[in-house]
Amino acid sequence: MRTKLNLRESDPKLYLPERAKILKIKDFTENEKFFELALLDRPKLGHVPGQFLQVSVLGIGEAPISISSAPAEHNRFDMCVRAIGDVTKKLHTLNVGDIVYIRGPFGNGFAEKTLSTMLGKHLLFIVGGLGYAPLRSLINKVVPERDKYKKISVLYGCRTSKDRMYAHELDELSKIGGNVELLETVDKADENWTGSCGVITTLIPKIDFNPNETIAMVVGPPIMYKFVLKALLEKNMPKENIYIDLERRMKCGVGKCGHCQMEGIYVCQEGPVFNYAEVEKNEELL
Amino acid sequence: MSAQTPEFVITKKDLLQGLDKALADYQVAALTKKDDRVLYDIIKSPTEVVFDYQPTVLSPKKFFFPQDETILEYTADGKISAKIEAKPTVLFGIRPCDLNGFKILHEAFADDHGDPNYLAKVEQTVVIGIDCEKICDKDAFCFKVGSQDATGGFDLMLYEIADGYAIEIATDKGSQFISKYLTTSKANGDEITSCQAKKAANFGQEKPFKNLAKLPELFEQNKHHAVWDQEGSRCLSCGSCIMVCPTCYCFDVGDEWQLNLKKGERVRKWDACMVTPFAAVGSGENFRHTATYRLHHRINRKFNFLMKKHNQAVCVGCGRCVRACLADISPKRIAEAIGADS
Repeated sequence: MRTKLNLRESDPKLYLPERAKILKIKDFTENEKFFELALLDRPKLGHVPGQFLQVSVLGIGEAPISISSAPAEHNRFDMCVRAIGDVTKKLHTLNVGDIVYIRGPFGNGFAEKTLSTMLGKHLLFIVGGLGYAPLRSLINKVVPERDKYKKISVLYGCRTSKDRMYAHELDELSKIGGNVELLETVDKADENWTGSCGVITTLIPKIDFNPNETIAMVVGPPIMYKFVLKALLEKNMPKENIYIDLERRMKCGVGKCGHCQMEGIYVCQEGPVFNYAEVEKNEELL
Repeated sequence: MSAQTPEFVITKKDLLQGLDKALADYQVAALTKKDDRVLYDIIKSPTEVVFDYQPTVLSPKKFFFPQDETILEYTADGKISAKIEAKPTVLFGIRPCDLNGFKILHEAFADDHGDPNYLAKVEQTVVIGIDCEKICDKDAFCFKVGSQDATGGFDLMLYEIADGYAIEIATDKGSQFISKYLTTSKANGDEITSCQAKKAANFGQEKPFKNLAKLPELFEQNKHHAVWDQEGSRCLSCGSCIMVCPTCYCFDVGDEWQLNLKKGERVRKWDACMVTPFAAVGSGENFRHTATYRLHHRINRKFNFLMKKHNQAVCVGCGRCVRACLADISPKRIAEAIGADS
């Protein structure tokens, strides 16, 4: 039989972004800024933790940026932006009150189904550098509901103490106590740092966890995954209990432009959050 | 051959007259000549149509997915709107390899999130195919990947017969085009028997890859085969193979201001997974940092990753990349090296 070119439903707004106004800007580090934004044309973003947006500055372009705040019932959301490309450098020059344009949220994120498997478990966040930005959307969701989990451990590693993001929130996190713990390390200690020194994997032996009852969430620079995954597997953690959240080049966010395709997987559609057991054979992803 | 029974026949003279009539309502693109080269281009008169097929450098995908296309327009004070452009178009004389390419393009752009810019063009386009009676040149290998016959992607399909063409109708749009523009007579139904016999004789012993259906599996098993480096180490990462490919649909998106800085636009352009920065991120990490990895990715899109999605080889064997490649890299040779035919 002949295959016809059936006219499927067109999405006229597929590439049309919407407005968001900058409410607050904070300098985190030399290269990273915090932005709080508000949607102007609808009541809430409606995201799940781990999803991302395509953020535009008109005339400069569009870049994929993680949503850094937990899902909320209002129109505000956060991002943390490292000035590294044309769009992100331009974002760093903007002021409170300026308008940016967004599309999304995109990607799978930690959907309700995944989140429900975490209930009653020990949540182990293993975060490197800017990886705190995407995982903060989940950390800030689960910490206020900490009674629902056995324990919440956040391991955070940075190059130096100056590279810590959300420093104020980290301090608050460390004071909560009970079933919430924060362990930090820096690659290079300076005179102001009295904590651990070493790569992120040096924190793993310091926490007590039952690998079968623990769900790990790993986010950081590309090089970090290999070592963290090895350390977790050595602790006999089942692969199904490990989630990774990945960064790739993305132009469309809707599985067409091809930039984020790693072997057969479109990161913008099937990720950026992946269950390790499902993707361990994908050599480009890991 | 998988052609269906034709419903009408038309003389060449009536066909040309029909195209002339259609020129009043449509822009017509057809195989035509510019200097000494043949190409698919907009024609002003049916006399410009070249019927004797020779391979073109670019595929006709450019009429659905232009090399540069504005998708948004905005002003400096923040007024922003989607720009979706399409003109009534007839694509005339498209060959089976490219028609099968259209099918793939369609599934890529229309499925899941319906791409508005692409779909607007499809909606306004009538595709008229012409079957190939012979293999166009030594580089074409449509017969290896099951693409010597069009399995879709057209509204009307023409089969050459004595003094004209037999017409197969695939869609209502095709049917309406016939009633409005073409003077035809009813077919007996057996008109294409002889042209099918001619085609079979011309294609002779050329058969599909023995393991065509198993290609995804074979490519999966041969991620580290020596052929990747043998071919990949010669690759110049120029991306020519992608520019000419009828089924490559990756794109880049960028913003451009007009000179007066009052208006700007967002433009999407063809992009190429064979060029170095395609999978690089801001931090400098490049997830396919060698030509070997990039070649592996491109060829696996054709015979593995996307073949599973589209249920057909995503390389249609048109041979354009083979002709364009300065380093003599061929998807056919790679497929053979990993056991497509053994």
